[in-house]
Amino acid sequence: MNVIIVGFGFIGKETVRALYKKMDIIKRLDEEFRIIGISDSKGYIYNEKGLNLEKLINIERLSDYMAYNESGSAEELIEKRDVDLMVEATPTNIKNGEPGLTFIRKALKRGIHVVTSNKGPLVVAFKELTTLAKMNNCQLLYEGTVAGALPVFSLVRKCLQGDKIRRIMGILNGTTNYILSKMYFEGTSFELALKEAQERGITERDPSYDVDGIDAACKIVILANALMNKDIRFEDVKRTGIRRITQEAVSLAKKANYAIKLIGVIDKRIEVAPKLVPINHPLCVHGTLNAIHIESDLAGRITLIGYGAGKETVSAIMNDIFTILKDLRKS
Amino acid sequence: MKFDLTIALPDRPGQLVKALEPIAKNGGNIISIIHEREEPSTGIIPVSLVVDFPSKLNLKETINDLKNSGVAIIRAEEIIDTTHITVILVGRVDLRKFTENKMKKVKILGFEVSSPTSEDTCLKLELEVPAEFVEEVMDHLRKIAEAENVLLLSPI
Ligand SMILES: NC(=O)c1ccc[n+]([C@@H]2O[C@H](COP(=O)([O-])OP(=O)(O)OC[C@H]3O[C@@H](n4cnc5c(N)ncnc54)[C@H](OP(=O)(O)O)[C@@H]3O)[C@@H](O)[C@H]2O)c1
Repeated sequence: MNVIIVGFGFIGKETVRALYKKMDIIKRLDEEFRIIGISDSKGYIYNEKGLNLEKLINIERLSDYMAYNESGSAEELIEKRDVDLMVEATPTNIKNGEPGLTFIRKALKRGIHVVTSNKGPLVVAFKELTTLAKMNNCQLLYEGTVAGALPVFSLVRKCLQGDKIRRIMGILNGTTNYILSKMYFEGTSFELALKEAQERGITERDPSYDVDGIDAACKIVILANALMNKDIRFEDVKRTGIRRITQEAVSLAKKANYAIKLIGVIDKRIEVAPKLVPINHPLCVHGTLNAIHIESDLAGRITLIGYGAGKETVSAIMNDIFTILKDLRKS
Repeated sequence: MKFDLTIALPDRPGQLVKALEPIAKNGGNIISIIHEREEPSTGIIPVSLVVDFPSKLNLKETINDLKNSGVAIIRAEEIIDTTHITVILVGRVDLRKFTENKMKKVKILGFEVSSPTSEDTCLKLELEVPAEFVEEVMDHLRKIAEAENVLLLSPI
């Protein structure tokens, strides 16, 4: 299998590192597994015989690798011969999904399987992209887009095949959970907790993305479309952020055995809003943890808890790659 | 529908069985019986039953039958399932707006206001709502909160 990686930032690099580390397992599945190209915003590297992973894990910028094709674009890389799989990890853009949307469209049209951690294209064009994948007989997997390492799509698709999902709710944004946990345990104000989160570097550059529930709403769009047969867009999610949560509200809730959490819900209502979570409920997790609670007709209730961002996300990308590798072997 | 049916029986053997007959005849399903015999006996024993009847009419007929056979009725009323809900309101809360008309079915069991450090007040309400109206009441609260620009925090 010939793989290209588009985006060599945090996720792109961590993916290369994980592939290098697990190469012996991968080679047992596919002796011909190679990374043949990687691109960032300014150029790409390419070698049809496979790039040298040992060198790759030691470079900071892609241009430090030999024969960096400056002025080359990711689209050129997608057009190279015999590309089987693209890992797409460019920045999220929820307005128009770009640049990832163009890359994914192009790859799928060429029959290239796609693994992405980028919410943007899926929020903007979920139906279009999943249809495109089907038409071209290839897979589009995106486990890393929602709640990082939590295997929610795989769980529902592989392990709940006979179930009807009735409701999904969850803590889908680690930054707001960090802020609300600080307020809960230390009685700090929202402003101070936000500042601390920013100092620790766990917020997006624009804090609105986290605290106004935009990020969580994007994840709700993907979950609803992928797992509950909906056809919704970002605007369909009713959204309330956490800016108005006061210390008093947190402490009144605490006295009544609740913690305030930013919760995304898909049932009759589709919304993201701060809610009272009973402290003994499995969704009541703290710090930067994420949690997803699924209610289905046969299994009842299932809760996943874990890290929604950071290098743990690579677990999701790796599982998607393995899924495609194994499916190819079967066919 | 569940009813609390409390009757007074003479303290003589066989009275209870006699009283249960009309209940069964009218389609009642007895969920519980509390039967307290006092010592020394006053000659009358109050018996509290929780009975599930298909409708109010069945209860009425049962009461008639019981009265005809000389059993006194102390109490016969519907038992309504209720749910306790905690909500927190943040903002310039005008409590009257939240407790008007539609909220008649709701009992406010308690409330707590916190001294605000910002201009937003914070109010916690403990509500008792008939189970079948929970959604209606929550919808109503949401609407008012939106209109009043108040943040409503409700349980998941
Ligand atoms: N970081 C996490 O913990 C995490 C978790 C879950 C999901 N995600 C998602 O995964 C994606 C990648 O995240 P990240 O943290 O790795 O971001 P990042 O560090 O900002 O890296 C983004 C990479 O994309 C490249 N890029 C930008 N525009 C491009 C273009 N037109 N063509 C080719 N490459 C382009 C950038 O190139 P330059 O280096 O030249 O700027 C950079 O290498 C995002 O969508 C993010 O939301 C991230």
